Amino acid sequence: MAPLSLALLVLLAPLASAAVIALLLRRRGGLASVVSVTAALVVAGAGLALVLGGDRFMASMPWLQVGGFTLTVGFQFDDLAALMLAIVGIAGLAVHVFSLGYMHDDGARARYFGGLSVFMFSMLGIVLADNLLMIFVFWELVGFSSYLLINHYHEKASAADAAKKAFIVNRVGDFGFLLGILWCQASLGTVNLTEIAAAVGGGQVVSAGIPLLLFCGALGKSAQMPLHVWLPDAMEGPTPVSALIHAATMVAAGIYMLCRIEPLFAAAPAALDVVLWVGTVTALYAALCAIVQNDIKKVLAYSTLSQLGYMVAAFGLGALRMRHGDGAAAHEIVLAAGAGTAMFHLTTHAFFKALLFLGSGAVIHACHHEQDILRMGGLRRLPVTFATFTLGVLAIIGTPGLAGFFSKDAILYLALANSPIVFGVLALTAVLTSFYMVRMWKLVFFGAPRSESASHAHEGGLSMALPLIVLAVLAIIAGYGGVYGKLAGSFADLLPHAHGSDHITVLVTSIAVLAIGAGAAWAFYPAAGEDALAKRVPGAYAGLQLLNGSFDAAYSFYVAKVQQRFAMLLNFLEQIVLAGLIIRGVAGVVGLVGIGVRALHVGSLHVYVYWFLLGAALLWALVTGVF
Amino acid sequence: MQLDPLLLAIATPLAVAAVIFAGLPKRYSVRLAYLGFGVPAAIALWLWSRFPAGAGEAYQFMSSRDLGLSLLGIKLTLGLNGISLPMFVLAGVVGLAAGLYAIQSGAERLKIYLALLLVMQGGLMGVFASVDIFFFYFFHELALIPTFIMVGIWGGRDRGYAAMKLTIYLTVGAMLSLAGLILIYHQSGAQTFDLITLRAEALAHPLSFTAQKYGFGLLLFGFGILVSLWPFHTWAPLGYGAAPSSAAMLHSGVLKKFGLYGLLQVALPLAPVGAAHWSGVLTVLALGNVLIVGIIALAQRDLKQVVGYGSVMHMGYAFLGIAATSVVGVGGAVLMMVAHGLSVALLFLLSTCIYHRTHTFDLTEMGGLARHTPVLAAFFVAATMASIGLPGFANFWGELTLFVAIWKSSPWVAAGAVAGVVITAIYALRAVAKVFFGPPTEAFSRVVAHVAPVDLRWAERLPALLLLGLLLFIGFWPRSLSAPLNSALGSLAPALAVKAAADPRP
Repeated sequence: MAPLSLALLVLLAPLASAAVIALLLRRRGGLASVVSVTAALVVAGAGLALVLGGDRFMASMPWLQVGGFTLTVGFQFDDLAALMLAIVGIAGLAVHVFSLGYMHDDGARARYFGGLSVFMFSMLGIVLADNLLMIFVFWELVGFSSYLLINHYHEKASAADAAKKAFIVNRVGDFGFLLGILWCQASLGTVNLTEIAAAVGGGQVVSAGIPLLLFCGALGKSAQMPLHVWLPDAMEGPTPVSALIHAATMVAAGIYMLCRIEPLFAAAPAALDVVLWVGTVTALYAALCAIVQNDIKKVLAYSTLSQLGYMVAAFGLGALRMRHGDGAAAHEIVLAAGAGTAMFHLTTHAFFKALLFLGSGAVIHACHHEQDILRMGGLRRLPVTFATFTLGVLAIIGTPGLAGFFSKDAILYLALANSPIVFGVLALTAVLTSFYMVRMWKLVFFGAPRSESASHAHEGGLSMALPLIVLAVLAIIAGYGGVYGKLAGSFADLLPHAHGSDHITVLVTSIAVLAIGAGAAWAFYPAAGEDALAKRVPGAYAGLQLLNGSFDAAYSFYVAKVQQRFAMLLNFLEQIVLAGLIIRGVAGVVGLVGIGVRALHVGSLHVYVYWFLLGAALLWALVTGVF
Repeated sequence: MQLDPLLLAIATPLAVAAVIFAGLPKRYSVRLAYLGFGVPAAIALWLWSRFPAGAGEAYQFMSSRDLGLSLLGIKLTLGLNGISLPMFVLAGVVGLAAGLYAIQSGAERLKIYLALLLVMQGGLMGVFASVDIFFFYFFHELALIPTFIMVGIWGGRDRGYAAMKLTIYLTVGAMLSLAGLILIYHQSGAQTFDLITLRAEALAHPLSFTAQKYGFGLLLFGFGILVSLWPFHTWAPLGYGAAPSSAAMLHSGVLKKFGLYGLLQVALPLAPVGAAHWSGVLTVLALGNVLIVGIIALAQRDLKQVVGYGSVMHMGYAFLGIAATSVVGVGGAVLMMVAHGLSVALLFLLSTCIYHRTHTFDLTEMGGLARHTPVLAAFFVAATMASIGLPGFANFWGELTLFVAIWKSSPWVAAGAVAGVVITAIYALRAVAKVFFGPPTEAFSRVVAHVAPVDLRWAERLPALLLLGLLLFIGFWPRSLSAPLNSALGSLAPALAVKAAADPRP
């Protein structure tokens, strides 16, 4: 098949699946899941064929033309898009297959699998899009599918609230995103990614406002501060959804989008600093919050926030300037290392975090929907779950040889080269990461079972084990050049390679943070039914909890006390003005007309008809010269 | 004589209404009503499919009849261009949906109710098929009068007060706009109400600045009241709250667009300099629609009020498109009108469906309805997503095009308009959640214990599917609408260029 047809197949297969499920299979959950998984299989198969086939192409057509405004849809299938397509295809298929087992007994299976297909369609649209407006279209659609899937257990008030919150918070980010696109269109005359790069390369001056407004979109979708509040709540959705949408792919779309518009940031470095600090602060803040979570999914959610912060910070670190040669032959090379390292970490994170979430799904499934890690324990008995989950933990905390180690080191090296302060903060974050991950790992799998459900835990079926194993393998190998280079093509060349003393510094740091964090957690937390930090250092525990809740408290205050009261006030004024207008109107012109009309308004429709006919007849008579 | 499809679309519902008024038995009346609602919709869709791609500015399917009023320059001239075609389709489809819903509603005195709705339908088809301004106005009045009656007789809570207020406001609006039309007619000296001639005349010999200023001003406020321009909007939520659902669907979905359509098709090309003069005022008032009314919608506890205020709010976008006085703005406004017409009609229809299951419109006495009625919930979520501008529904294209146009005239105003997108999401999703999700409230549990709610019946589902289907079709394939629209927009360009030349602003 021609590459373009393959790409169309990849995009449209999930849409077809969603349509078929919505129209025909609403009550046929089993069949719906088969259709949806088949679509995911097609996406993964055709997608990998495209990625590994090596064809890169662009194609577009106008979609809407009004006056001078033209919106095109098109594909820009370059190495970056290929990398993202591989991630979405693999993670998507893994989650679809896992869902077969995990959601087997759910009454609304058809809706669930239909939602997954809508998500795949929307996400692939973002990946393949060749212009910002098309990205925005699919950006909104992933938001919708996320709403749908978070709301899966809609009879729970908490799920309904979380879905609403996710959608609205994302809309706040999209407010800026859309304005940025409009500004870009007005200022550069195009929203096409290639044309933007060409315009910027041609010396077009770009206001820092444009990339900053576009970054607002990433703030929402990738849950960066201060719009991060929706992601922990989004854990109300089914666990496979958390793995696919709220860990591996959709939340990473913000970082992908940033890499797509990297030229705009290169032209406006001031914007890049903002990005850097937002990412850095989010990484640290979320890692601190993760320490005091007792819900297994919440630990992973805050971990995702923190890792996304890592990626955003990596992007914000920007280009790496390297001096080559010496003397007269010396020249400087500028490497877009920020985007390169961000995407590298996005890739490894997608695999090990999907693995961890699906692993937590296996744990939750095994424990009959128990999610509190204080009430687990002793789950080493589940061999597949324990082995794969452990690999995921080792990968995320950066154990040498596993995927997370390479991508985290690349970021730390870039930070060391460009901003030592950020390097310090990210290293501290890495300590915290291994701390909270090992805490969770120990509480879940070690010691004796601390609840009835944990002691009766049993392994899920093959459909749940298989995705775990595949993702575990990827969590090991995805960091190696042989694998990452295959998926990312020339984009892999953007990775910086540490030399000399910097290399040693980064290596020593990363092994030290791993040892300190993991060792401290292992020593500090007994595998017991209460939190050691809360018991031994209640002040610190309470402080972290306060920090954790501060944003939600502030937003709740705003919504309930400011926004709603303002709305009530305006509503009150409207009623007053309304009443006032009528009182004044009776004396005024409006009133005169009103009285006249009211006299006619006697509730009988005949009177109206007669009046109308009389008027029409009079006019007719007048102009035809009867009088 | 050749059969004139436009005349047929107007005459069929009127003829059916006349036969029903004449005393046709109820059984036959209902059957005939299917014909009265179905024929205009079928013709509209057929003409849409037949509309030539490269029509340009020209009117298609033209016909002209002298009804003895030619002394005043009035002829029954019918035709469609790329701007009126989308509206004609809107009127046909929403009319059919409202008709189908009315037929299954089992309203008291169903015969008269259907007949009035048919009169409204005939008037609406006439409004958008008229090339003659006199008939354009005449058909509007023809459609408006049944609205008052239907609110007054078949209305819900506060129907007497609502009908009175509706009548006062809309009559004043109609009178002001009539005055504006007469002023322009008088000043142009073309001695005709024919829009094509008037526009050619206005291009060759533009009206004086004073005439344009007052003409456009009268039309702006006259039409503005009819379209619920802030702060003349208070009739709308009240009126729609009280109106029976089919009347609310047809009025808010289609008839209300008369004012916007008049501004686009008549006021803007004939008085472009006047439009530029009023653009600043209109922008401020339209922002009032988007921001102030939007925030007021947040405070509503009644489902129908949320929909009503939301509808008023969205009119602000279309007004902002007109205030941008650009071709893109006009195009966006037309897309928006069609999309909004479909989605608001759908929301009113579904709100009534909800009411029949909850026995209340009070959002604080619902909750968890999705459990009993998953299909109704899916429809309502879809309609809500359409109204908050999710891509995939027609509304998105309208909003996006408008935002592009607004940004061009002022980025700050665009920021205000785009902020409305967030506000809409808040009030709309809040309403959805209160009706359908979470645990049931105590009040709703009592209702359920009394009569368990049944899911959407096919009689209700059919009109909803019609509206939703078209929203999705345009949403996925906007070119179906934008291609004819775009070619007609060219006719506005010269007039707007005149404006740009005369515009004293830099």
